Amino acid sequence: MIPAPRRSATPTPRADDTVRDEVVLAGRNDRPARTTRPLVRRFDALPYVLVAPVAIFIVGLAIVPALFTIIESFFTVDELNPPTRFAGLGNFVQLLHNHAVTNSAVNTALYVVVGVTLSTVLGMAMAVLLQRPFRGRGLVIAILILPWALPGVVEGILWSGIFDPNAGLINSLIATFHLGAGDGVLLGQNRLLTVGLIGLVQVWQMTPLSTLLIFAALQLIPEELYEAAVVDGANQWRRFTAITLPLARPGIAVAMVQALIATLNIFDQPYVLNGAASTGSSVTMETYFVSFQNLNFGQGYALSLVVALVTVALSLLVVRFIYRKVEL
Amino acid sequence: MKSRRHPLRTVGLVLVILWSIVPIYWATKSSLQTESAARSRPTQYVPLHPTLANFRALLVGQGSVATGIRHSLVNIVIECAAATVVTVTLAALAAYAFARFRFKGHTVLFYTVLATMAFPPYTTLIPLYRIMSAFNLVNTYTGIVLVYVSGFLPLAVWVLHNYFASIPASIEEAGLIDGAGRLQVFWHLVLPLAIPGVISIALITFLFGWAQFLFPLVLSTDLSTQPLTVLIAALQGRHIVPSTLMSAAGILAIAVPAVIALAFNRYIVNGLLAGSTK
Repeated sequence: MIPAPRRSATPTPRADDTVRDEVVLAGRNDRPARTTRPLVRRFDALPYVLVAPVAIFIVGLAIVPALFTIIESFFTVDELNPPTRFAGLGNFVQLLHNHAVTNSAVNTALYVVVGVTLSTVLGMAMAVLLQRPFRGRGLVIAILILPWALPGVVEGILWSGIFDPNAGLINSLIATFHLGAGDGVLLGQNRLLTVGLIGLVQVWQMTPLSTLLIFAALQLIPEELYEAAVVDGANQWRRFTAITLPLARPGIAVAMVQALIATLNIFDQPYVLNGAASTGSSVTMETYFVSFQNLNFGQGYALSLVVALVTVALSLLVVRFIYRKVEL
Repeated sequence: MKSRRHPLRTVGLVLVILWSIVPIYWATKSSLQTESAARSRPTQYVPLHPTLANFRALLVGQGSVATGIRHSLVNIVIECAAATVVTVTLAALAAYAFARFRFKGHTVLFYTVLATMAFPPYTTLIPLYRIMSAFNLVNTYTGIVLVYVSGFLPLAVWVLHNYFASIPASIEEAGLIDGAGRLQVFWHLVLPLAIPGVISIALITFLFGWAQFLFPLVLSTDLSTQPLTVLIAALQGRHIVPSTLMSAAGILAIAVPAVIALAFNRYIVNGLLAGSTK
């Protein structure tokens, strides 16, 4: 391949770094364009060849399936009862009358409240702990991200050892400190307790990423701001509320969005810890049961679509009200 | 405001470390005990007579649980490795094109790829199952790897795009002027400079693959392709496997991701932050 001479449509430096010259390389430290430029623009196939595989994957296995979900949620799609027929809002209406589904929606709302609140508050607290450098900070961060790296299913197994009525850590501690018999059944009986404890397992998994995201935002706060605040006589709490909290908002917003997406779609932890029991089942679990046990794909599509729309709507709300572009 | 450490900060750091490792410790402890020792009261907070019997049973035992665990361990390694190699390769090529070439459809395609990251993860579960089913790819490695790759590509493209865009173009121009082809320039000049980003996204992709559950639960119904996560959940659901043996299986399943997270945490932290900020 012959190296192409640099050519440019306009001799002025380009501000938008996503808009680049055809064929020719351009980067952040762009040099002024040279004057030699060929008169005819040759079609260049190379970039198309480079992006083609990704484009095929994304269109074939993300865009098309998403369109499937949107369209077929208005159809009766039942492998046991073909053919596919238009159903209007029938699937959505039937879901509203399905007690297991409405019950799982209540559980999921509780998972969202517990998960988003706890992971954001804990993430903020941990990020503040790590804000200033100290000896061993790298090691603490390495240990801290451990729960993020583990599969949700296996975290369910790990925590079932904490919650076990006989051998579990919680009941063991209750017995050791003579606070009770230490054989209490923690999961599967009381809805609030079950959802709270399963939510805690998911919080364990999500908090590392929340911490990192908020931590990254805190690293951008200039130390001089705190020094000036000290000179002005602001105490630690005041410095936190007046400097740390507002300037951490971009990080907090991204952390909340990731927690929101994870909690609205919770599946692994309740599936492993509580099975299909109504005390902890989530909407995604009901989607799975409706689609792959009852083989009613139309209703499964409808439920997926509702979860997706709620996820996007709530994410936009968080961005709208929490995210603020910080100019320093 | 210097490095004088507040006592509360020390307490906080100890709590952070305990919070992260106590569940892992408790499962490790249980995995080193017999079932009766794990259930005995007063509780043994450290195993008094540690035994590797559970691990021996899983790794060299003959029962269906043990052979299943070993089979699904092989499956998960194959699926994660294949998905990682394909994802990183395709993402690197596309990310380079997005970062360095301007072509028709550049911006539309780039933002379309990124927008699929905003899809909630299970929106496409049912259609992907039906597509794989139509192509006879249920219960095949190919089917699982295709689905994983389609899910992991957007983040990989985004992170690698940012790495490539941060590399000075003058380096490549020098290579082009010296007469190297554009793919040679990419391979010999650009890729070596982006290696930290490639390692980051490869590790993150591998960990994502290892954590998958609902997709393989739907896409693989037997041991020919079931990853360890799916088998472990099935064993837990049947309530026939002793809890100490389940703990040992759990420790086996987290060993690989835990070692990766501890050994390469700098790459992972950088990759995560490169992917979610900006």
